[in-house]
Amino acid sequence: MNTEVLEIFRQAVEDPGKEVREWKEKKGGKVVGFLLTDVPEELIHAAGFFPFGICGGTVRMDQVEAHLQFWSCSYVRNSLALALDGKLDFLDGLVIPHTCDTTRMLMGIWKHVRPLPFMDSFRLPRQVGRPSAKQYVVGELRRIKDRLDDFRGTEITDEELSQSFKLYNSNRNLLRKLFNLHEQNPASISNKDLYTVVKASMVIEREKLNMLLSELVSVLAENAGTPNDKTKIFISGTFLEPLDLLNYIDESGGAIVGDDLKNGFRYIESDVAEAGDPLEALAERQLKRIPSASYDIPENLRRHFLVKTAQQKGVQGVILLHVKYCEPENYDYYDNIQALEKAGIPALRIETEFGDTSLGQLSTRVQAFMEMVGGE
Amino acid sequence: MSEKKTFKTAQLMKEMMKKYYEDGAAAKERGIPVAWVTAVSPVEILYAAGVFPYYPENFGAVAAARKVADKLSVHAESKGYAHDLCGYARCGIGDAYADEHPIGEIVKPEVLFCCNTQCGSLPKWFEVASRFYNAPYFLLDAPLIGNEPEELCTSYYKEQLYEMISLLEKITGNPFDYDRLAEVLHLSNEACRLWNEVLDTAALKPAPFGFFDACFHMAPIVTMRGTQEAVTYYQALKEEVDERIKEGIHAIPNERFKIYFDHIPLWPKLRWFSDLFAAHDSLVAVSQYTHSWSYSFDLNRPIDSLAEQYTEEFVNRYFDYRLQLKMNFFKKYNVDGFVLFSNRSCKPNAFGLYDKRSILSEKTGLPGVVFEADMSDLRFFSESQVLAKLEPFFEQLGSS
Ligand code: SF4
Repeated sequence: MNTEVLEIFRQAVEDPGKEVREWKEKKGGKVVGFLLTDVPEELIHAAGFFPFGICGGTVRMDQVEAHLQFWSCSYVRNSLALALDGKLDFLDGLVIPHTCDTTRMLMGIWKHVRPLPFMDSFRLPRQVGRPSAKQYVVGELRRIKDRLDDFRGTEITDEELSQSFKLYNSNRNLLRKLFNLHEQNPASISNKDLYTVVKASMVIEREKLNMLLSELVSVLAENAGTPNDKTKIFISGTFLEPLDLLNYIDESGGAIVGDDLKNGFRYIESDVAEAGDPLEALAERQLKRIPSASYDIPENLRRHFLVKTAQQKGVQGVILLHVKYCEPENYDYYDNIQALEKAGIPALRIETEFGDTSLGQLSTRVQAFMEMVGGE
Repeated sequence: MSEKKTFKTAQLMKEMMKKYYEDGAAAKERGIPVAWVTAVSPVEILYAAGVFPYYPENFGAVAAARKVADKLSVHAESKGYAHDLCGYARCGIGDAYADEHPIGEIVKPEVLFCCNTQCGSLPKWFEVASRFYNAPYFLLDAPLIGNEPEELCTSYYKEQLYEMISLLEKITGNPFDYDRLAEVLHLSNEACRLWNEVLDTAALKPAPFGFFDACFHMAPIVTMRGTQEAVTYYQALKEEVDERIKEGIHAIPNERFKIYFDHIPLWPKLRWFSDLFAAHDSLVAVSQYTHSWSYSFDLNRPIDSLAEQYTEEFVNRYFDYRLQLKMNFFKKYNVDGFVLFSNRSCKPNAFGLYDKRSILSEKTGLPGVVFEADMSDLRFFSESQVLAKLEPFFEQLGSS
């Protein structure tokens, strides 16, 4: 499937700064970058700023050596390297979600080497099962909102918040439709294109994104071909990167029908309630997200979620992606794989790195796994 | 140094720690619940509730000091826990799966309390352990704070202390005893005060006591603050250090330089390091690490005070605060240089050190160096690489 609109998404991923530079030139607005993706983007958007997802990219890595140990994860190293190399020069601000020790410590370094007018952290709670958590998240969101108010010079209004919630919900709804189309009929859009669109959605202006997504969804829906006879795969991990990995799944007749990735379905799975207190609604969404390694959720334990979802969707195999040196993910791995094994669901673990282009080895492993679970 | 006079209190500590571990092992039979807890946690609440607080980190440190960390770790690694995770966690998880226990078995928890001010490894490790031992896990969650304490974070923590207390009431079947808490806090204050008085003697020149001594004598302040035993111990240690001052017994034979060290020591190489520094007439006098236990609780507002002090610890602070803290220590102990240990196990303390080194040198004019290794795992230790960093540093010291 090759439509013009898909090409726009592909280009946005090819050169993530392209859209935002054009926007900045045209509108003269401010850009607030964020590390993926447990961030209240809607607040940034409501303030009139461009929320820009830092998604990794090809960049020289030598400069980062002086600031971050090689045994920190490649996402954080790659992000800082982009900043050091001037590839994020359009940023006026940065929000880092505290998802691990590395993201907790990164702000100080970044502030020191590339200070920006607006810098803040979203200090996620690491327990979400007790009443204290919700109260705290609402307070933390209020704090960030106050800082954004100050940075803009005027208070973000409820009207602005409600507009942003609507727009983001609409974006997410369209992206979910895309996932749904892909699940029903994987021939309509390849795995790689699907995740390309998710990635692009973090770097394209939200209003424009809505138009592009609407177009894409309607084109694809019209061409709905044969139903799914592919090997159904679930992907679990922190990030899906590099996207080229998906070529192997495409080539071996696999269809990804779910994930718990920060840059995958987990990013768009749920919406923000449009009625009621806006900050409470944002907090509620954050607390109810698909479980990840950042914390275990007592009423939705990650390993149970994995098994349950795999079973519901009739998944034939689970691929566990492990970004090298990602600590939280590593602590979850063994219990996850044990739970999957017990449920009779085959799983493959592969280690990945941002900016890694030598995927040769992985292709053999992914293909062998796909053959095994595909049963052909 | 081999000719160095050992502390008389060392013997006392051995006995005390032995008893502590025996008590832990016997707790179950006596119907006392064993609670796992982390080093920078409000253990005072556990002592007041009458449960036995057990420190798996200490288990990791002991394994490291006895040079068996790698042996335990491989059992975790074979399950897919990478060798770059925190060494303490690898030892703890490894011990769970191991059939050999070179330092004795880790004491199994009936409940796990973790405070995440120190790091994100502890909560993940405790989650794993809670699944393995099938025991409830409770996290005291502390968002990182900047230069100023924040009402948002303190009240969140305070709220959680009450949640923790209700869980303890359920586990013990007894209402929480606030009078007992006041007693425990008082004992904790006393132990911390004495401990810090001992640490402060490292500022004397020449000093009777230094960082490597502190590493040896710190176990009770970590595990037993809040008990009379800890107070008695540090009274004895303080007396002994005072005697040494009178008698002119020094930590190293020929102290010319004082050094600041960040953060945890390399446990299996403690002796090697202390000899190396001593051979260069350098006393490692101070580290933020051993100063972590410096509480002074307000007995009139116990819960507020616990929430404030535990969240405001430097381990829970941003970059700038930690920089300032180091510079305060430089000044207070009048150091001549600083050594920063980029500890592969401990990411929250290692990340940022490269930039901190240059900023600190710029701001203070002192020579400083960062070296790479791991606090527990000798597979990440290269003597020649460490020396290649430290030798030029010692030369700089000598020439300044
Ligand atoms: S050594 Fe560091 S990572 Fe390990 S438990 Fe201690 S603070 Fe956490």
